[in-house]
Amino acid sequence: MTQPIQCCYSPHEQHIMDAAAGDTNYKKGRERIYKILDRNQNLKPVIDAERAKYFTESMAQTEGEHLTLRWAKAMMNIAKNITVYVEEDNLLAGRIGCQGRYGILYPELDGDIFEEAIKLLPTRVTSPFNMTQETVDTILNDIAPYWDAKTGRGKTFFNDLYDALPEDTLKVTYEPSEKSTSRFIVNETASFRSSNQWVPDYEKVLKRGFKGLKEEAQAKLAALDPFDPLDNVNQKPFYEAIVILCDAIVLWANRYADLYEKEAEKEADPVRKQEMVDIAARCRWVPENPARDFREALQSQWFTQLFSRLEQKTGTIVSNGRMDQYLYPFYKADKEAGKLTDEQAMELLECMWVAMAQFIDLYMSVTGGAFNEGYAHWEAVTIGGQTPQGQDATNELTYLFLRSKQEFPLHYPDLAARIHARSPQRYIEECAKTVKEGSGFPKLLNDEEIVLQLVSNGATIEEAFDYAVSGCAEARMPNRDTFTSGGVYINFASAIEMMMYNGRTFKTGDELLGLETGEVETFKTWDDVWNAYVAQARNLLRHAFIQQKNIDRLREKHFAAPLLSAMHDLCMKEGLDLHTEFIPGGVDIGYFESMGFGTVVDSLAAIKKLVFDEKVTTLVEIREAMKANFEGYEVLRQRLLNAPKYGNNDPYADEIGKACDLVCSEFTDKYSKSLGIEYCLRYVPFTSHVPFGKVVGATPNGRVAYFPLSDGSSASHGCDTHGPTAVLLSNYHTKNPGFHDRAARLLNIKFDPSTVAGEEGTKKLASFIRTWCDLKLWHVQFNVINKETLVAAQQDPDRYRGLIVRIAGYSAYFCDLSPALQDDLIARTQQTTI
Amino acid sequence: MEGCVFNVQKYSVHDGPGIRTIVFLKGCPLHCKWCCNPESQLAKPQIAYNPEKCIGDVCMLCAQVCPQKNMSLLDTNKVWINHQNCIHCLACAKACPAKAISLYGEHHNAQYFIDKVEEDSIFYSRSEGGLTLSGGEPTMQTEFAIELLKDAKERGITTAIETCGAIPWEKCHEVYDYLDYIHFDIKHLNSEKHKEWTGQGNEVILDTFRKMREAHPNTPCVARTPIIPGFNDTEEDIIAIRDFVKQFPNTTYEVLRYHRYGSTKYEFIGRDYPLGTEDLDGDLFNHLKEISLQ
Repeated sequence: MTQPIQCCYSPHEQHIMDAAAGDTNYKKGRERIYKILDRNQNLKPVIDAERAKYFTESMAQTEGEHLTLRWAKAMMNIAKNITVYVEEDNLLAGRIGCQGRYGILYPELDGDIFEEAIKLLPTRVTSPFNMTQETVDTILNDIAPYWDAKTGRGKTFFNDLYDALPEDTLKVTYEPSEKSTSRFIVNETASFRSSNQWVPDYEKVLKRGFKGLKEEAQAKLAALDPFDPLDNVNQKPFYEAIVILCDAIVLWANRYADLYEKEAEKEADPVRKQEMVDIAARCRWVPENPARDFREALQSQWFTQLFSRLEQKTGTIVSNGRMDQYLYPFYKADKEAGKLTDEQAMELLECMWVAMAQFIDLYMSVTGGAFNEGYAHWEAVTIGGQTPQGQDATNELTYLFLRSKQEFPLHYPDLAARIHARSPQRYIEECAKTVKEGSGFPKLLNDEEIVLQLVSNGATIEEAFDYAVSGCAEARMPNRDTFTSGGVYINFASAIEMMMYNGRTFKTGDELLGLETGEVETFKTWDDVWNAYVAQARNLLRHAFIQQKNIDRLREKHFAAPLLSAMHDLCMKEGLDLHTEFIPGGVDIGYFESMGFGTVVDSLAAIKKLVFDEKVTTLVEIREAMKANFEGYEVLRQRLLNAPKYGNNDPYADEIGKACDLVCSEFTDKYSKSLGIEYCLRYVPFTSHVPFGKVVGATPNGRVAYFPLSDGSSASHGCDTHGPTAVLLSNYHTKNPGFHDRAARLLNIKFDPSTVAGEEGTKKLASFIRTWCDLKLWHVQFNVINKETLVAAQQDPDRYRGLIVRIAGYSAYFCDLSPALQDDLIARTQQTTI
Repeated sequence: MEGCVFNVQKYSVHDGPGIRTIVFLKGCPLHCKWCCNPESQLAKPQIAYNPEKCIGDVCMLCAQVCPQKNMSLLDTNKVWINHQNCIHCLACAKACPAKAISLYGEHHNAQYFIDKVEEDSIFYSRSEGGLTLSGGEPTMQTEFAIELLKDAKERGITTAIETCGAIPWEKCHEVYDYLDYIHFDIKHLNSEKHKEWTGQGNEVILDTFRKMREAHPNTPCVARTPIIPGFNDTEEDIIAIRDFVKQFPNTTYEVLRYHRYGSTKYEFIGRDYPLGTEDLDGDLFNHLKEISLQ
């Protein structure tokens, strides 16, 4: 006999329902935060062109100078002229665009397409933006002309890269008719962001202030050999740039101090008046000087990350680093001095979260938009993990971050929890509770895999222990990492098509994109199939590495980052910008992405099983079925769908998966050296498995044409039918741990709420996390599925095939249940929760 | 020796400590009207048919292989199977490309199944989980159940059972020598009522329970009662079982809520669901649950 399913709503869902019913009790104690959030959260984002305008204005005046110096001068121009605003109700000051939700422009990336893009932006389906006529005029008159590909003087990185790529590489990179549109076969991501994800060393600013960084640069200047040509041409302008940059951010902060002082005088409410006076005083002191308490530390960090957002478009937004570590001394001292309560600390942090939520990462290009649908953002805040000496690093502030996420489950910030073998049980269980209560946060990253990988790629063990999560699932060592190029995404499902169609794909027809490995009529054995696939895959890898070399070589000519360089030990030591291709002493870890792993493995497994083991079909029949998108081949399609699948701890599929992983691992093991970096194999798609799927016709795993590819290292849609333990084990069994050029494998696991309900559910989820840690898997995040999901699954079963409703003694696919029983389940959910 | 198993279910978290794998053995001496695993009752492999997955006239491979000519095509373009005429040759299940017809029950030796159980051992070590035998009635295949449990023990896997208890102690006692946790169903103390709803009286069950508790007083045991509307959903029923259970050491009592999620599976194997549409009142269940814990 069995337990009935129980369902629980997350606080977030509860808030939505309460609000709909007119109950605002959930806002109690968070009145300020909800006031700010409610004012902004439903506004359509607006484009603010000020940053782009002042940046362009300055760049036009400094042509020919050292690039870092030009960038610093541009930052000074922005700092002097950009509008400063009072943040209503907020305890932090500072924003870098207009009131409400806003996005800003980076014309150095894509200024040449602004004219076209602004016509489309207000109405495009994914992530639309509004703009005023004044903004349109500014873009057309003051910004776009300078970056115009034909007539402007500021050639964008993209155009330089396009001109540099050899013809056969171009062919798999961009659409022949639409220069800037990706083909989603071998896809570069370096032209829609000026840097890969990054996290700076905020602690340096908190401890020394920009005054300290400026003094360091001045000392470096003083120590230069006035007769040395290299010192004069390279180092001198670099350190001068750092001095200007430090002055710029301090000037900008002081403009906020002036504004808040002035506005405080007009404020009628005495409580708010005092708050504004205090904010003004903090802006006067930080980030110029070292922070003296928790409030100053937060204000200083906020100014710094905002200035970094002004400086460049870091991929997935600049990350926040190990906040529970570098803020802890301030928190502890304030609490001991009676200056700060936990509630006040949470309110201050949440003031930052709701301010973050107003900045929208705007992608002008179609490709960038497709990678980051729905205003995506990954400004990772890292908690937990280990100290540089390898001790457990959790502290009371760690738990406060988790408590805040449980009580106020906003999707800002992206919370990342580091887990290691000796993480305290309290911490693991609080993470488990937060996963259950919130909206899938925190994501978990595994020290036991990441520290090993960083050390094997050249970091010291202390640096590796101190890594911060950056972006989606990456790990950064803010003073040792020096590689910032965006990586290449490779569509290996296209390689499957090329193997089946002799170098061509369904969508592109007769055009030869891959190698001519022969028509399938010539393949007599499984080895023939496998060898043809490997040849096609290696050909795509070849183009990917050619792309990457050109990207790495060209980027330093287009981008500079004086702020991030000022905060980096090695840049300051060597007098080199962070964008420099090679910085002495740096550890250069880059990433290339395997797209459609599950799709590929399942396709190969189906061919091997049905054509060569069971001999119930032929390669020719499968190819014809693919061409027909399975119309008229329904029986064959069912056989393909029911062949062995990755994600079930089935050695038949997993051994093929491991071999596919090995193809990439061996390739990069050999050719990383030529790139001069550790070019690591990664499985992190963002939302791009959808657009990558849109170029791939029907595949031998039974997937219909243009359906999304499998995502990250997760199984194909609905194919993981043996529960979450099998998903973890398949992931484990398809890795090649002997190779060190490997990075994140993104793993999404969905849970039915009944399996994690109650205190016992928390403990079982915690033990699941422990085993995930034991298996040394890089990353995992959980979705605890609720009623809404069940309803959606009922309406669109194809997308929810894998949804398991698990009841001991009886477990079933939700979509396999009769409609009546589905209704029953949904209804019961409501009964038990409201 | 080989045994007949109809499911090996990983990541089971509701019955017993930790993350467990349940091995469901086929065959049961009882035929409870509310049974949520009707496919467990027959002691040999059988087919199950889920029309949702059937692709109809473009296929019909099942009709081609069935020696009894049991398949016909409905107007809905779904196959209809005459289950009553089935001789359990299983040919259709092997032929169906869509897995609309699938197999409940496979014969293999104990090592085969414990190999599958052992795949998740890394989860058991963190969660105090392990193997659970369920069914059907796992002690009905007595020798095979013993082999499974012995093999698991040798591999350091803890063991549990879910049993209806309706096998005489003299026949099944050795099974309990290899168990770390016991879930034992006691459905009713009135033997006649028990017989009416399950097909058998409760004498064997109560006798086995007593002797089991005497022989293994230190093995933790949960006595369980599924609360079924019209059968045992009164205070008196539950108090009687609770007080009976209370006499034994290391024995807790738990009531389980009736659900109808197994009803689809009756359709799959061509049977009517024996109970009507009546559901258990939630308040009543909560009330009885409170009483059970007193």
